[in-house]
Amino acid sequence: MEKKLTMPKLRPEMEKGVLCAWLKEEGDVVTTGEALFEIETDKVVNQIEATESGILKKQLCEEGDTVDVESPVAILETE
Amino acid sequence: MLNVQNSSHDPFYNQAFEEFVFQTFQEDDIFFLWQNSPAVVVGSYQNICREVHVETLWKLGIPVVRRISGGGTVYHDLGNVNYTYIIQQDGPVDYDRCLQPVIGALNAIGVPARKGRTCDIAIGEQKISGSAQRIAGGRILHHGTLLFQSDLRMLEHITTHHKNDCFQSRGTISAICPVTNIRDHLTTPMTITEFQTRLLNQMVPAGNHRLTLTAEQEAAVCLLRDEKYRSWEWTWGKTPAFTYEKSGVFAGAPIHLTYRANRGIVSDAVIDCASVDGSEATRLLNGTRLDPEGFAAICRRLSGSRAEELMDWLL
Repeated sequence: MEKKLTMPKLRPEMEKGVLCAWLKEEGDVVTTGEALFEIETDKVVNQIEATESGILKKQLCEEGDTVDVESPVAILETE
Repeated sequence: MLNVQNSSHDPFYNQAFEEFVFQTFQEDDIFFLWQNSPAVVVGSYQNICREVHVETLWKLGIPVVRRISGGGTVYHDLGNVNYTYIIQQDGPVDYDRCLQPVIGALNAIGVPARKGRTCDIAIGEQKISGSAQRIAGGRILHHGTLLFQSDLRMLEHITTHHKNDCFQSRGTISAICPVTNIRDHLTTPMTITEFQTRLLNQMVPAGNHRLTLTAEQEAAVCLLRDEKYRSWEWTWGKTPAFTYEKSGVFAGAPIHLTYRANRGIVSDAVIDCASVDGSEATRLLNGTRLDPEGFAAICRRLSGSRAEELMDWLL
């Protein structure tokens, strides 16, 4: 099943975040708890970890892209 | 609350120490103080060349270190005290949860500190502390500077002058704020050592664990320092992709200079100037690493006696 991963809302006032680094490439196997990507907002770098296992099917944005909160950033293929 | 002592002043070691502690002592809340000998510390996602004048730092012998948290560029020296505060993540990002205990401790030892903008601590309208965070694995690493008796002229010279606007890139841009030293606002004077002891006693009262790393743990920190924090890949290779463009007059001739860098590797370099061999410049620059020493060597080959001047055009 395909599942969209989105830009998380880390603070009530957060509207956008920068996806600053991909820690997994397309095609990589991902297990729950593993770090997927890093985002930066204000002064915080937040490492985002997988909440379920699967294969990272598609990265929907590039490193450095500013993404609206709750917009998709990747597609995870889950069992 | 756990305290892990760190008496090193080596800025590369200290970044590695902090990352090691963050990853190793996962069960406890942690607070510790540390100091760097003069160094520039940049945010995880910043373009060093945009933020500081690399050649100036090079001449002053001041190293640049990239940290793992967000935010902007700071200058450290032995008049500045850094704190690191590590706690469990509990709900949304909340700076106050980390800042308030530190402000409370400062107030208790006679520092009239209050919360400044976003993530700052101020006295009156002037900043005494900037901070940043990294969140990973359900824990928050919050760290900040505390200007006690820093060389503010040097700080200003390094962090606010020479901002280079020739870079079009998407990295984090530093904010520039008026700053002051804590020492100038004390009703009862204290030394920087007394300041550190009192602050630590407030944050980690007697009865809490205070420990130092074992020899084995210290070896692990040194390995991390050498393999990560002193590496080109971390410091320069992490530079967000950018396009650089600058024009003017060099050695009596008009110059127009452009290049791009992605993951720290230069491409599409063009120097259009009657005083520089353009095809040799393109050949030398394309594929080279974004690295002040490497750039200086290329400038020497291209322009001999005017190498330093050409370097100013390139970075």
